[in-house]
Amino acid sequence: MESGRIKTGFVMGPKLSRSDALGLGGLGLAGFLGLWGALSFFGIVPVEFLPSPFAVGSRFIDLFAEPFAGFTLPQHLGSSLLRYLYGVLLAACIGIPLGLAMGWFHLLDDIVTPIFNGLRFIAPIAWVPFAALWFGTGIGGPILIIFAGAFPPCLINAYRGARFVEPRLVEAARMLGTNHGRMLTEILLPASVPSIVAGLRVAAGLGWQSLVGAELIVASAGVGFMMVQAQASVQTTTVMAGMVAIGLTGLAIDVALRQGERWLHNRLGLD
Amino acid sequence: MAWRRQLVGLSTIITVALAWYLATSVTGFISGGRFPSPVDTWAAFRQISGRGYADGTLLAHALHSLRLVAMGFAVAIATGVPLGLLMGWSRRAEALINPVFLLIRPIPPLAWIPLAILWLGLGDAAKIMVIWFAAFVPAVINSFAGVRAVEPALLEAARMLGTPPWRFITEVLAPSASPMIFTGLRLSLQASWTTLVAAELVGALFGLGRVLNLAQQDIYPGMILVGMLAVAICGWLTTGLLALGEARALAWNQGESRPAS
Amino acid sequence: MASIRFDKVQKYFGRGEKRTHALANIDLEIRDREFLAIVGPSGCGKTTCLRLVAGFEAASEGAVSVAGKRVTEPGPDRAVVFQQFALFPWKTARGNIDLGLRNKRMGGEERAKRIADVLKLMNLDSHADAFPHQLSGGMQQRVAIARAYVLDPEVLLMDEPFGALDAQTRVVMQEELVRLARVRPRTVLFITHAVEEAVYLADRVAVMTRRPGTIKEIVDVKSMREAEDWNRFERIEDVMDLDSFVHLRTRIWKSLREEKDS
Ligand SMILES: Nc1ncnc2c1ncn2[C@@H]1O[C@H](COP(=O)(O)OP(=O)(O)OP(=O)(O)O)[C@@H](O)[C@H]1O
Ligand SMILES: [Mg+2]
Repeated sequence: MESGRIKTGFVMGPKLSRSDALGLGGLGLAGFLGLWGALSFFGIVPVEFLPSPFAVGSRFIDLFAEPFAGFTLPQHLGSSLLRYLYGVLLAACIGIPLGLAMGWFHLLDDIVTPIFNGLRFIAPIAWVPFAALWFGTGIGGPILIIFAGAFPPCLINAYRGARFVEPRLVEAARMLGTNHGRMLTEILLPASVPSIVAGLRVAAGLGWQSLVGAELIVASAGVGFMMVQAQASVQTTTVMAGMVAIGLTGLAIDVALRQGERWLHNRLGLD
Repeated sequence: MAWRRQLVGLSTIITVALAWYLATSVTGFISGGRFPSPVDTWAAFRQISGRGYADGTLLAHALHSLRLVAMGFAVAIATGVPLGLLMGWSRRAEALINPVFLLIRPIPPLAWIPLAILWLGLGDAAKIMVIWFAAFVPAVINSFAGVRAVEPALLEAARMLGTPPWRFITEVLAPSASPMIFTGLRLSLQASWTTLVAAELVGALFGLGRVLNLAQQDIYPGMILVGMLAVAICGWLTTGLLALGEARALAWNQGESRPAS
Repeated sequence: MASIRFDKVQKYFGRGEKRTHALANIDLEIRDREFLAIVGPSGCGKTTCLRLVAGFEAASEGAVSVAGKRVTEPGPDRAVVFQQFALFPWKTARGNIDLGLRNKRMGGEERAKRIADVLKLMNLDSHADAFPHQLSGGMQQRVAIARAYVLDPEVLLMDEPFGALDAQTRVVMQEELVRLARVRPRTVLFITHAVEEAVYLADRVAVMTRRPGTIKEIVDVKSMREAEDWNRFERIEDVMDLDSFVHLRTRIWKSLREEKDS
């Protein structure tokens, strides 16, 4: 018998102490940044392809004042965020009511589901050519693509929320003589809030992805646009500073939504 | 009621097809310069499958894209799943790797495209790199979560039975984590296609994204639609293949509740 | 006249191989203003009976009618009190009680008055604006009963309403229900597992057989209650000590026991 071979400490062992965890994490980060820095510092990879972490950081800060591709970084970010907001809001405003209604009216479900399933396999980014053709490269085209990315989770989560409401609650409402409109707004909508909020978080993430894609291909401003311009003129530092900006903004959006979700759960007395 | 559902679904699809035909070909309500009629689309399809478009036939473009997705996806599985399992298995590995992972994770895969082009050019290598990055993250996260979600009782049972480490990994840990791993792979596959199409739209010499890109420049709606449909069908096929693999690998997971028929 | 009639009702669930025969030939009348309790082994179809009257399910054969009209859909004339309360977690006690009245398109003043009345009747005044998760189980159940009573329904349907409560709260609620039944008598269909509860509350107790459920016998409690004047006692334990109570309880208990053992 080799039962002694698998020790508790090996598989899902006890929690590491805080200092151990911090130490190991610091080691990992230091290793990563050190390797990156060393590669560019010792010229193992040419600097024009891999600038040092420090160069990227300082470029990121410079871009706040110095315009690139027509605008400063905050201006690019501003126009990105505006489009993003429009696209996600549009997806929420159409997707959530439609999803709820599909969860209640079976006929609507039967009608919309085949169309939706057909469209779902088209990657949002594949709408780019039509988006450009129909709405141009200003604000309309990117919005369509962001919409295409953010719409499915809005619809699906509202639908699931409405479809899988505790049946007793629906029965209680029916027994009280509740009409269709009130059933949607006062029973199914509040019952689906957790699911809808979770969907919005996914939608926000996918929308942000789609925004980046859209701006790389069809846009005349925005962080993605800035990055392709930098790529065309082989300014790797600016490209990487753009990645940092995109990553930080995406992270901030996600953190804000998580906080909102937690606040809501507390408020509703869930968990 | 299943037949009613199918009937409604079928009539919806027929109605949509009819509306498409009426709006474009018969009434001209939607101009051909904005959205193609069925006839235009068919003509574009004939052209690309016969003479070719953007330096190749539809089949050649599709196979090229499929190959890139398959390669990027395979590399992502080969690296992401073991890393996720390792991080799930050892708290030390988790503590070491997680911060780096958290640093890179917020950057959407599509944001790597310009860098990949700078590093590797417009050829296949850049595409494989971004697909790898895109598919890597869901593979890691879900393998990690899968290991952490394993019933502790199962682990104890395996220990009680004196299972040696290697057998423990292959016969206990991996199978019990595999439903989650497959969930991750489904997300990875989706991300792979999105990323490939985006990368090919930004710049490519060949592939379905190249077809879309050229059709956009030529203002050729029929070809745009053909390209989109081809992307959708490829995505659908690969998703189906993965589902098939999942069904075979996880046959045990359906349990006794599965009808015998 | 709001009587409930089951007319040779059969109920099946599913079809083909997996079809279960839940109710077999139920023939039953619950008279106007009568309190009828159903007891029976688990899974015999008690809840199904109630859901047929509520209009959540349709009979496979035969008919269920209320006040002479065949039941086709749920409605506020047949209020239901669910075992797990089924309060809307996002509405306050008042909001839960209000919904049915708003659905009746009742004016604001009238609604406020009715809600105040029923809150007082159920001893809920001080908790009107609490959300369900802020209330104890007993209070949640009172809200559920208030929500049903405020509609002034012809028929009240209760499915093990006290099943989820602890023993003490349960006794309090039983006493309150008796009080309520004296103030505002209604036609009540009451389902329970507890024989004491059935004998204490009901005018008649119907005992069901195992699945497929049929009515095995109906025990008259009301004539005994009136003959022995149980109502002179305020407390449930005093009633439960009476020989006449014990006699009825044991009789029903034995009848049930035959079902469980066979
Ligand atoms: N929706 C349904 N689908 C299929 N079978 C059902 C359904 N509802 C009830 N049944 C079956 O019908 C039978 C009677 O169920 P019912 O819930 O009426 O029993 P019950 O007497 O209320 O039991 P309990 O005392 O446990 O509450 C059971 O065998 C149950 O499995
Ligand atoms: Mg029941």
